[in-house]
Amino acid sequence: MAAVRTIRIEENVLADNDASAAAVRSMLTAAGTTMINFMSSPGSGKTTLLTALIPALKDEMRIRVMDVDIESALDAQRVADATGVEALQIHNGGLCHIDADMVARALAQYPQAVTDTDLLILENIGNLVCPAEFDTGAHKNVMILSVPEGDDKPLKYPLMFSVCDLVLINKIDTLAYFDFNIEAAKQRIRRLNPGAEILCVSAKTGEGLDAVCDWVRKACSEQMKVRI
Amino acid sequence: MAKDSDIIRSELPLRIIELKESVLEDNNKDAQELRETLRSRKTCLINLMSGPGSGKTSTLLALQPYLEGRIRWGVMEADIDSDVDAKTLLQAGIPAVQLHTGGMCHLDADMTRQGLRALSSITDTDLDLVVLENIGNLVCPAEFDTGAAVNMTILSVPEGDDKPAKYPLMYEACDLMVINKIDAMAVFDFDKEKVERYAKLRNPDIRIFYISAKTGEGVAALAEEILAQVTKWNA
Repeated sequence: MAAVRTIRIEENVLADNDASAAAVRSMLTAAGTTMINFMSSPGSGKTTLLTALIPALKDEMRIRVMDVDIESALDAQRVADATGVEALQIHNGGLCHIDADMVARALAQYPQAVTDTDLLILENIGNLVCPAEFDTGAHKNVMILSVPEGDDKPLKYPLMFSVCDLVLINKIDTLAYFDFNIEAAKQRIRRLNPGAEILCVSAKTGEGLDAVCDWVRKACSEQMKVRI
Repeated sequence: MAKDSDIIRSELPLRIIELKESVLEDNNKDAQELRETLRSRKTCLINLMSGPGSGKTSTLLALQPYLEGRIRWGVMEADIDSDVDAKTLLQAGIPAVQLHTGGMCHLDADMTRQGLRALSSITDTDLDLVVLENIGNLVCPAEFDTGAAVNMTILSVPEGDDKPAKYPLMYEACDLMVINKIDAMAVFDFDKEKVERYAKLRNPDIRIFYISAKTGEGVAALAEEILAQVTKWNA
């Protein structure tokens, strides 16, 4: 079983988050580490997606995961057990988001996540509101919208859909059970964020995962080019 | 699912209220004052909370046939943006106002008071029940007392049975827990025993109702519970 470490961090109210985020990003870039921030509602499938995605990529890159949760270690343990990669559980003491300063302090306690890692995955708190407001220092933001949540979510949580580079429409294996119009969802996302890529997946059946892997590979290789 | 271009067929106007951020330091005190005001007015306020997309609005629509004619009720729909939920309720003939939080992730007692004022301006009579449909968020709304008589949370089957373990404060703060979308139980790995154990670990007094807002299963029992809560509060 791969190790899970737990780190408790508290909010630093004085931090200038954008400056901290830029510092985290440039430190990671210099080390050749690409950081991707995964955000979504509770229960839309972040952990399941990661447990499907990581095994498909872990032979070609060194991957580590930081899981943020209010107090349980369920996700980090699930990721570590299912994928064999090291997962870091960050407890943020009940806060609704993670900011760049919290990431910086977690990385200071866990330097391998910078020095021995090609892809650093941040699994944010399940919340469509607050995480969108805080740049974590990640190179890319991914948000997951699951079919049972409904195609109206971009209308109700516009900031989240505006700040992401990739939107994954997950649980497409359940499309027959729910009224979810993929075209309507895509239009609403594009209206907010014309540059966002949108991919449909089922983390459960594996449908569409190849395209997500390709997107992650591309994100990592872009980062390597920046470094060189 | 509501469309962007839906036309309101209700006679009630769609009213969108841009909430002002509260300046009050002590939300708990303010919430207590609001609760006392509501008690003297015989209005039961239910604060309905859940993650995005677990079916808050659909549950209210499913409850309507059981509540109509028995109590006078109205809904405050809180959202960061958009007016889809209030439109949906107005189309169904439920008095509703849309509250915009301007990006805020929760409502506090003062924002709730602003919403109540707006709702009373579109209804002629005092309401027996007001439902505040909070921002879709399992974290922040749990931290703020809105002045409600009853806190109610919805967990939908597709979200998973581990949510009470991951968002403990929400389940501690709630009197009623509704498990929605039980018609989709066959499609998801959802363990009823596990979800009840996690929830009761946090809150032994929490009362759990299984419903499908889509098929109507279990909604009658939930409606009876809500009517009993209203009767108790307004006695």
